[in-house]
Amino acid sequence: MTNNLPAVSVKGLHKSFGSHEVLKGIDLAAHDGDVISLIGASGSGKSTLLRCIPMLEIPNSGSISVGEAHITPRDGKLSRADERTARAIRRDLGFVFQNFNLWPHRTVLQNVVEAPMIVQRRNKAECRDEAMALLEKVGLSDKADAWPNQLSGGQQQRVAIARALAQKPRALLFDEPTSALDPELVGEVLKVMRDLADEGRTMIIVTHEMGFAREVSSRTIFLHQGLVEEDGTPEQVFGNAHSERCRAFLSGYFDRA
Amino acid sequence: MTSELYLLGFGPEGWGPVLARAGLMTLAVSLSAFLLGTVLGTLTVWGRVSGNPVTRRIAETYVVVLRGIPDLLVIFLFYFGGRQVVSLVGTALGFEGPFDISGFVAGMLAIGLISGAGQSEVLRGAYQAVPKGTLEAGRVVGMSRWQLFRRVTAPQAMVTAIPGMGNQWQSVIKESALVSVTGLVETMRQVSIAAGTTQEHFLFYTAAAVIYLIITTLSDQVFRMLERRSMAGYAGGSH
Ligand SMILES: Nc1ncnc2c1ncn2[C@@H]1O[C@H](COP(=O)(O)OP(=O)(O)O)[C@@H](O)[C@H]1O
Ligand SMILES: [Mg+2]
Repeated sequence: MTNNLPAVSVKGLHKSFGSHEVLKGIDLAAHDGDVISLIGASGSGKSTLLRCIPMLEIPNSGSISVGEAHITPRDGKLSRADERTARAIRRDLGFVFQNFNLWPHRTVLQNVVEAPMIVQRRNKAECRDEAMALLEKVGLSDKADAWPNQLSGGQQQRVAIARALAQKPRALLFDEPTSALDPELVGEVLKVMRDLADEGRTMIIVTHEMGFAREVSSRTIFLHQGLVEEDGTPEQVFGNAHSERCRAFLSGYFDRA
Repeated sequence: MTSELYLLGFGPEGWGPVLARAGLMTLAVSLSAFLLGTVLGTLTVWGRVSGNPVTRRIAETYVVVLRGIPDLLVIFLFYFGGRQVVSLVGTALGFEGPFDISGFVAGMLAIGLISGAGQSEVLRGAYQAVPKGTLEAGRVVGMSRWQLFRRVTAPQAMVTAIPGMGNQWQSVIKESALVSVTGLVETMRQVSIAAGTTQEHFLFYTAAAVIYLIITTLSDQVFRMLERRSMAGYAGGSH
């Protein structure tokens, strides 16, 4: 933590699905406290990149590090030792899905305590207290005993964020966290994420919420056809991008808005 | 016939106590077979979905074979064939005969094997119905394969599986009557003895039907209760 090792580091990442090469050599490093927004057209590989970090997709080549843990898969496969490292990396990251993916057979509170209690095997009472504090933080302490499908999409996503935080992760990864929500529910989720950014959390956020990306992130990366096309501060990327494509992509957004 | 009802009673000439014991034997052999079937069915699903071609072939062959041969044949194979194997092995190891294999064990193994094939179909459907996103959510917090199975897959699959598993259980109870060919004194065997002894065939076979109906009806209630309980979180209702 004190040395200059990035929280999350991706080097030379290639990923293909069959003969379709989706990521063509990506480098990315998130240091502690960085809030990186990943933007780009649909199909440019944003989700695939994000999913490669906890090895939900196994890269064909390249390497992933989270803190001290380091994996270099070969030919899209993980060795036994890699599997163990992958689990350590996953324990150290919080991942928030577009579709929340809460466990429907567990209550809100049970969803939040699951990882610390079962995976990290921490003290039960302690996990519970922490989980309640996290629910309080996302504004849902009164829903602790509710079932996920009794909640609105915005509430479910806030529970999912609390569940990710309960892991005490080194970094949080978000894959279009508001894209599945009705427009009126987007704000409550973005507010929680803004609070997390203000706390200094390390975050990598795939998003189409350009206003949010511009205000909240410390760095913005524009992906185009599996390559980093633009990488800079939000001021630079949104105000004065080098890449023609990036400017065209963004003007499409801001014209629509 | 009404005048002969005392034969079913618990009096000095009544067959009540032995019929009750036989009913419990039906329940015991069915329950052991069903649980064995659940273990085999779960392993079969695992073999099919684990991605290993060898285990998949074994699992598929098991299901095809057991679905394709008569249940009675499986029981004969285990009881008579099993006895032969046991005595062969026993003699080879230098033990003194005679060798035997109990009707209970043979019946349990045979029906368990048959039921495992059926249960695997139910369990596979239930496994496939588990939302993939919830599995990813488990993997991404660092769950091991076993934790994922125990904490995410199994509890969700169970909800979908319960009605189908109820049907499998009913089948097992009915198939357990076949175990009577081994001489195991379960319901079917016992009423045959009673009917032969008293020459009251209609009375005793009707009594057997009632015994089976009692077991299946009560089981049905249990499965309905399990279903209601497991639905917590799905109906969006109370818990
Ligand atoms: N599991 C998969 N199998 C095959 N192709 C996939 C898979 N996941 C993504 N792709 C393809 O990879 C490309 C990039 O997808 P994705 O990373 O989801 O893009 P984005 O999130 O930027 O919209 C798309 O062409 C998509 O069809
Ligand atoms: Mg995507």
